[in-house]
Amino acid sequence: MLDVTVEEKDQLKLERLQSTLNRACKNVPFHRNRFLELNILPQDIVSLKDLEKLPFMDRSHLGTHYPYGLFAVPLRDIVRIHTAPGTGASPSISGYTRADLLIWKKLVARSFQAAGVTSLDIIQIHLPPGLANWGRDYKDGGEAMGAGVIPNSPLSLAKTLMVLRDYKTTTLVTTPAFAEQLMEHMFDQERNPNELNLKRVILVGEPVDEKSVADLEERLHVDVWLNYGLSEIPGPAIAHECGSRCDTHACGSHCGLHINDDHILPEIIDPGTGTPVPMGEKGELVLTTLSARAFPLIRFRTGDMARFVAEPCGCTSPLMKMEWLKERVDNMIIISGIKVSLDQVKVYLGQALGMQCPDCTVERIRQGGTETLGISLVMDDVLFSDEIKNLEKLMIRTEETLAEQVGVPVKIRLVQKRV
Amino acid sequence: MLRIKNLKCSYGSIVAVHGVSLSVKEGELISIIGANGAGKSTLLLAICGLLKTWEGEILFQASNLNGMSPPAIVRAGISMVPEGRQIFSPLSVMDNLKMGAYTMYRKGLKSQVEDDLKMIMDMFPILRERADQLAGTLSGGEQQMLAIGRALMARPRLLVLDEPSMGLAPKIVDMIFGVITTLRSQGVTILLVEQNARAALKIADRGYVLETGKVVLQGSADELLLDDDVKRAYLGQDYGDFYDGRDQ
Repeated sequence: MLDVTVEEKDQLKLERLQSTLNRACKNVPFHRNRFLELNILPQDIVSLKDLEKLPFMDRSHLGTHYPYGLFAVPLRDIVRIHTAPGTGASPSISGYTRADLLIWKKLVARSFQAAGVTSLDIIQIHLPPGLANWGRDYKDGGEAMGAGVIPNSPLSLAKTLMVLRDYKTTTLVTTPAFAEQLMEHMFDQERNPNELNLKRVILVGEPVDEKSVADLEERLHVDVWLNYGLSEIPGPAIAHECGSRCDTHACGSHCGLHINDDHILPEIIDPGTGTPVPMGEKGELVLTTLSARAFPLIRFRTGDMARFVAEPCGCTSPLMKMEWLKERVDNMIIISGIKVSLDQVKVYLGQALGMQCPDCTVERIRQGGTETLGISLVMDDVLFSDEIKNLEKLMIRTEETLAEQVGVPVKIRLVQKRV
Repeated sequence: MLRIKNLKCSYGSIVAVHGVSLSVKEGELISIIGANGAGKSTLLLAICGLLKTWEGEILFQASNLNGMSPPAIVRAGISMVPEGRQIFSPLSVMDNLKMGAYTMYRKGLKSQVEDDLKMIMDMFPILRERADQLAGTLSGGEQQMLAIGRALMARPRLLVLDEPSMGLAPKIVDMIFGVITTLRSQGVTILLVEQNARAALKIADRGYVLETGKVVLQGSADELLLDDDVKRAYLGQDYGDFYDGRDQ
């Protein structure tokens, strides 16, 4: 538990914000130029509110400064490099120094502790390849607090269940999609959840509704916790649920996530105007890293919708609380916890087909229980081939290429042109 | 306990500290590290009231230090061990210590001064041996002990040390840092300014790195000790140790 008062935390946040701005302005040409354009110096930011004077960043900036253009330390200081799919033609790359990894480890451990995980627990991590970086962070955080960790590895559903049962896993970290798939699988195979030692499931990647949580809790006999993260910064642990139960929604579940706002400063803005919304109203979540050395983000627009929870939390944590909402501001779709940009899908689709991207619709579908990016391609004269085999080959190749680019399974269906 | 927001200090037209925010919680040992001219000592001078004008806010236990005289600041509970010791050379060791208790006498707490003298002599037995000797005849390490002892005589809530290891032999430096650690374990809150960054961070809870009057890094001591920038700039490690052939 973080041992500071709200007042001390605000002072800490200001100190960290100012040093982040000093470092960013000194070391990153992108940030420096933005300060110069506005004729502002880092020392002009004398309060947390002053942050509003600075411009926003979004995913497109990460793509245009591919690969290392936004790093604030020399490359020799970087000890880990992550890739997120991004939104344009280039992926977004983030880097971490040794100190960054140490801080993130502490934050992940903090979110585990909030979910009641102790050194006596066994944590099993099951995340899709596109969230592998979070898998590493959860592993590091779990190990740092002395828990036993079964790291993320690509296992079949049956094997995952075997490990879950035989290794006496108490804590499962996974996506809502997989948790649901696992639950269905167990019931289909007539496996009683009593076989498991599982006490809690920590869900990451996307918001879940009360009904799904209640379903998982009742049928798997577990406590379900939600964590919020971004793949652009390592953060699976940007925000976590605490032990207090919800009484506003009467859902009886954990409700609202504590943001680690001593390390990541949140704002909620009106996505249209960019101005902060009144406390408690919904808007787009904007984050500023306060302690990241290698890859500082200043007013980064997440595309996620959220609202701050103003009502005091039942727990003693001084961390701010937010509710993570299902809707999104941007043109992204979440597949198994991984955010996929629709614009990017179209760019890659065109590249893979070797032609201008044909008319298509993109949706989330389930294929063999796995969440998949379903693309319905409208068949036109350019795409059409009288050799069905060639067409099939092209579709399979395109699916493979696209799956590699966006990090989720892809299924393409050819559909008739609507007249 | 100590909360500084947007502190700006200048000497004429030269700005030495550009909007520094910094805080010390009760019981913490905080290290400020940085190269020569980074603004470390200026910052301390502002805290202790020795710098006439500054902008921003310095709160010590909820009272604003702006405009307070140095003696008032000492009475409020901040004692400083200045850079270069600044002991009173022509006075005896005992008189130097009693000078440190000046505010205690003023408060009419004479009996406590005797207890404090005993406590400090127990902490630094060499000062008891040399009690009647002139302070100027002490060795550098002994003078530093005397300077710390003198500051402690005011029973500070916050002890501020400016470069206590400067000019001392490594063995003596170890001893001085040992003393600082002991004081901290006795509950004294400490703000330590040091060029000897490794030694300072090893005993600190948190640290701030100052560069040309700005805080460019801060964090827990373990995070700072891991930081390559800190290592290169302040821990005196060879640049080549880090460069492993990767292009910038």
